[in-house]
Amino acid sequence: MIVRPEPDRDSRPWWDAVRRHELTVQRCDACGRLRFPARAVCNACRSREASWTPVSGRGRVYSWIVNHQRFAPSMTEPLTILAVRLDEGDDLLMYGNLTEPAELCEGLPVEAVFTDHDGETLVNWRPLPG
Amino acid sequence: MPGFRDRTAIAGVGYTPFSKDSGVSTLTLAVDAVTAALADAGLTVDDVDGLATHRVGDSTPPWVVAPALGVREVTWYLDQFGGGSVSHSVVAQSAMAVASGMAETVVCYRAINARSEFRMGGTGRAPAPVFDVQYQAPYGYFAPPQQFAMYARAHMNRYGTTHEQLGRIAVRQRENAAKNPRALKRDPITLDDYLASRWIAEPLRLLDCCLETDGACAVVVTSRERARDLRRPPVLISAAAWGGGDSMFSGAGSTPAGTDWTVTEAARLAPRLYRMAGITPSDIDVAELYDCFTYSVLVQLEDYGFCPKGEGGPFVESGEGPPVNTHGGFLSEGYVHGINHIAEAVSQLRGDAGDRQVPNARTALSTAQPGYVLAGTSALVLRSDQ
Repeated sequence: MIVRPEPDRDSRPWWDAVRRHELTVQRCDACGRLRFPARAVCNACRSREASWTPVSGRGRVYSWIVNHQRFAPSMTEPLTILAVRLDEGDDLLMYGNLTEPAELCEGLPVEAVFTDHDGETLVNWRPLPG
Repeated sequence: MPGFRDRTAIAGVGYTPFSKDSGVSTLTLAVDAVTAALADAGLTVDDVDGLATHRVGDSTPPWVVAPALGVREVTWYLDQFGGGSVSHSVVAQSAMAVASGMAETVVCYRAINARSEFRMGGTGRAPAPVFDVQYQAPYGYFAPPQQFAMYARAHMNRYGTTHEQLGRIAVRQRENAAKNPRALKRDPITLDDYLASRWIAEPLRLLDCCLETDGACAVVVTSRERARDLRRPPVLISAAAWGGGDSMFSGAGSTPAGTDWTVTEAARLAPRLYRMAGITPSDIDVAELYDCFTYSVLVQLEDYGFCPKGEGGPFVESGEGPPVNTHGGFLSEGYVHGINHIAEAVSQLRGDAGDRQVPNARTALSTAQPGYVLAGTSALVLRSDQ
């Protein structure tokens, strides 16, 4: 963990679920649209009614970088950062670190891995076997 | 668009020296750049009734700069939140203020100690408190070179864009900077130098990145008629556009375009801009394109219509299109967050760009950060008054 996550009033339930090792997104109760990042209003129908719904934890690598510059004191080693589109929707994008070496390419299937540090939990990614 | 087109002009430009440590406050930098721009226009502080800037908590606002300069009365000001994506909208909004009669002479400035005090990458300070950052910073993702590396990788994945193609941009802009006495970096570089430079965030290297710079730049906006009576040839503000919608930063797109990182907001803005100016890309004699990183130039060559989507890499290698970043850009002149691109376009259109002058430059495009971060962009078309 490079810096501690700082939840806001919309995202606190998402981070609480991550701490329980549950990966969720919001589903609009009015129109059914899934959304992430967390926010109180649906951008398709403007409804404020939504439910946290589990997702499969599977997605595909869209892009990635290998960081070398020490932008924060804790960045002591090269770090691979992924942008992953969830299988439940191309507009459901999550970031995270790659936890196992892999030959990366666009579309590589990955699955979420929960990583606990110091009372915080982060969502990272590993290649799906096969 | 008779309400805006060609009604206002840039009458003067001014700079402080660019350095890695100015040794002075951003207030002093702002005062010096504004004073230099007024002198260039043949005006004095007594002529100023408007001041405009943008900042991200890193500079001095108009209500501090105005009394420090001794401005008698401010009738309009703008203190825009934002970084490189809003740089050109500051000048555009100042032109609107002049065109509407809210002010007669507005000086736009940007003053930053972006190396010695407030480094944009977050190095030495906490990441910016933007809502998406909580999902990114814990993984070590928050600095602009990382963001543009992520977008560049998406373009490489989709279109086969290469490191060498990005390198061509860095090499060519350094050649331009060699002819610019203001430029921080004037020693030539080769493609091999580029390829040997260290990784910052793969796929971007050190020589893909702009120069963290201390400095300020200012431009004077007034009416076309008033500008015609001043010291320098007026440069008309022919068209302006700004806006946004999708946040590619978070992936929270409201349209399908929000999920494709190979297309920027500039692709939506460009047709609006050209329609207002009454031009097409082939009419542009010189383009000063926001170059926080090399990739930003490549994607804008596509999104501003100089070549088809996906062909930015081969287009850069071909050397086709108008001269780009004639001053060396942020990569080699210095990084003043957009306004130095506008000032360079003004020099080219006035014909006073010295050794780097583009012959017969009459129409210029200048652009802001193309809309990857904070989901918006802005741009200007400028033309000589002949």
